[in-house]
Amino acid sequence: MVGADTHTGLARREVLRGIALGALLPALGGLAAPLHAAELDAEGPGERETSAALLRQMFPHAAFAPAFYDEMAGRYLEELAARPEALAEHRRGLALLDASYIAPFAQLPAVIQRALVARVDQEPFFTAYLMRGAELVYRDARVWDALGYEGSSVEYGGYLDRGFDDIDWLPGAGEMQ
Amino acid sequence: MTTYSLDDSSVFVVIGSGAGGGVLSRELASRGHKVVCLEAGPRLTLGDIVNDETEMFNKLTWLDPRMATGKPDPRFPVWGCKTVGGTTMHWTGACPRFEPHEMRARSTYGDMPDTTLVDWPVSPEDMAPWYDKAEMRMGVTGTHGNPHLPPGNNYKVLEAGARKCGYTDMDTHNMAINSVARDGRPHCRQLGFCTSGCALGAKWSTLYTEIPAAEETGNFELRPGCMVTGLEVGEDGRIASVTYLHEGQSITQKARAVSIAGNVVETTRLLLNNRSERHPDGLANSSGLVGRNYMRHFTIQVMGVMPGKVHFYRQTHLAGVVRDERAHRPERGFAGGFLISTVPFTPEVLAKNMLVGGWGRDLTRVLDKYEYLAGMLLTGEDPPQHSNAITLHPEARDANGLPVPVIHYEDHPNTIAMKEYAWKAGRRIYEAMGAEEIVEMGDYIPATHNMGTARMGEDPKASVCTPYGRTHDVANLFVSDGSLFPTAGGCNPTLTIVALAMRQAQHIDGELRAGRL
Ligand SMILES: Cc1cc2nc3c(=O)[nH]c(=O)nc-3n(C[C@H](O)[C@H](O)[C@H](O)COP(=O)(O)OP(=O)(O)OC[C@H]3O[C@@H](n4cnc5c(N)ncnc54)[C@H](O)[C@@H]3O)c2cc1C
Ligand code: SF4
Repeated sequence: MVGADTHTGLARREVLRGIALGALLPALGGLAAPLHAAELDAEGPGERETSAALLRQMFPHAAFAPAFYDEMAGRYLEELAARPEALAEHRRGLALLDASYIAPFAQLPAVIQRALVARVDQEPFFTAYLMRGAELVYRDARVWDALGYEGSSVEYGGYLDRGFDDIDWLPGAGEMQ
Repeated sequence: MTTYSLDDSSVFVVIGSGAGGGVLSRELASRGHKVVCLEAGPRLTLGDIVNDETEMFNKLTWLDPRMATGKPDPRFPVWGCKTVGGTTMHWTGACPRFEPHEMRARSTYGDMPDTTLVDWPVSPEDMAPWYDKAEMRMGVTGTHGNPHLPPGNNYKVLEAGARKCGYTDMDTHNMAINSVARDGRPHCRQLGFCTSGCALGAKWSTLYTEIPAAEETGNFELRPGCMVTGLEVGEDGRIASVTYLHEGQSITQKARAVSIAGNVVETTRLLLNNRSERHPDGLANSSGLVGRNYMRHFTIQVMGVMPGKVHFYRQTHLAGVVRDERAHRPERGFAGGFLISTVPFTPEVLAKNMLVGGWGRDLTRVLDKYEYLAGMLLTGEDPPQHSNAITLHPEARDANGLPVPVIHYEDHPNTIAMKEYAWKAGRRIYEAMGAEEIVEMGDYIPATHNMGTARMGEDPKASVCTPYGRTHDVANLFVSDGSLFPTAGGCNPTLTIVALAMRQAQHIDGELRAGRL
């Protein structure tokens, strides 16, 4: 995908398997949730911290505070509370991250976190969290502000008089039509 | 408001109120024929349309279960609408014509293994006046005196890059979006939410064009919330009535003749699911071809992180086109061609599409440059294959008790070769403009263009419908959507669906007047 050269392009366009492609449309993220059942473990310590740290590894933006990831992780865990099988699967995944090093995942340096995440990124709990996480994070108005997306424009009469054609860096701009 | 009784066997029943059904309804009603249009979805107003993709997706989209095998997503293979107006609510409004060589695909491309390529039974010369009528009806920009839409940022980047690559055939495209106020609707104000329904009504959608115009004739009744399940064949071998579900009740409407415009998947399901002694393999399926030769166009994207800001979301989704690669030039390693047009994404949809290719900095590095992104969509011809087919699941049933449609689709090697070439062509355009980073995105979008499955032709053994979209097997049954396409061409299908529906309406009118229907 990103930075793919023409030879490896196709393979790198599809790094993650098992993502429901239909889920890429707005509102269908739920399709990516794992379907199979799992045993329900007791809540582990630091479930929210690990979830927040993982979300930050998935979508690391320097401009977003840790509290933002924590808030979104909390929302995800709240959603999972109503779906015991998915929650159990999520906990099983968090345990993989927490058990694989001397300190809890959330306290590890980012570079080590990243390596650990790379080992689990084909797990159903991961792809489910990734897809729903993308919705939670990128549907948030604060994130839109940070990224520079202006959203709905109907109430301002559209972008017609608000910069739809204001590009100024093109060579010979304006002479081409 | 006009209403017809369920016993009135003189009404023409149209199933579906989208591009095909909406246009056919209006054409027949305005010629004085009584029409009842049965539409599964609800009737919204402009006031229901908001600038929120998620909310509108849930309001408009066809979400009844579908399955797929092969390449598409197994649970959501097709993207369409269930609402009055059909997928003309989601659509982006691009209205190119088929090229003459595409309507002569078999003669032009020659023998292509594992395909059922044919020439259209309608010649480009026959189609030309109907294209004119369709363009005038829809107010297509760049045709018949309708000015082009103004060029915006995303298009300007595409155009500048394309010129550097030696391309010359480009503009802001032929769009069924008003560039000036006309037809009682305002001009586009560049809201940038075209696929969520146009809150201004600047984009042509049958919800607020063909349907109200049909109602004004006094010969038309729209019945929203009516999901057709049955087509009953009488003693004489003709369709005698149509049965539909409305608020949990099964209702039967008598009919003089019927046309189905359910957007390919539903059209196929309706035909295959109506089996009888006379039609053991489904209605109008003596050829065995109903559901076969299912086609879609590939839709791949290339995003470029440009050296300056673009704000690609600030304009019509499809804001311009480069046509140079549309030609048939076999030296590129494939038959047929593709169009290059613009596309924007909201941060959410961009993130979701990109994360198929990875997470972490690979993803957020691009999202952090959101204001600098330019985007293009590449769509190309898909040759018909007998093995690409829509069938009915033997056991799985939806909430209405109907068998779930199963779509099987695989890319033909010609398509794979074209896609590889198209990615490179797209990449070159943004490279020429000094892009810092280029993101190639795969063919992930569920099918938006559906074609084939009830192809028209002269030979009843090799086609389902006549060149006027009348089924060979049942004299008073018609098909009025993309199912009719014998081949897919290298462009968006809706203008052709509309032109065929207008042409079909004239044929039906003549047959009704001559007492043959
Ligand atoms: C995001 C998106 C963008 C697009 N952009 C373009 C574009 O730029 N240019 C282009 O040419 N095309 C575009 N298309 C495709 C275009 O929308 C379709 O080609 C067109 O709408 C098809 O018309 P139709 O009448 O066959 O089907 P639809 O417009 O889908 O209408 C079918 C209607 O039939 C109803 N129906 C189905 N089954 C039943 C039943 N059993 N009983 C009652 N009612 C039923 C449905 O609810 C629906 O309202 C786009 C599509 C999408 C999804
Ligand atoms: S950009 Fe134009 S056509 Fe698209 S939604 Fe806005 S006003 Fe309608």
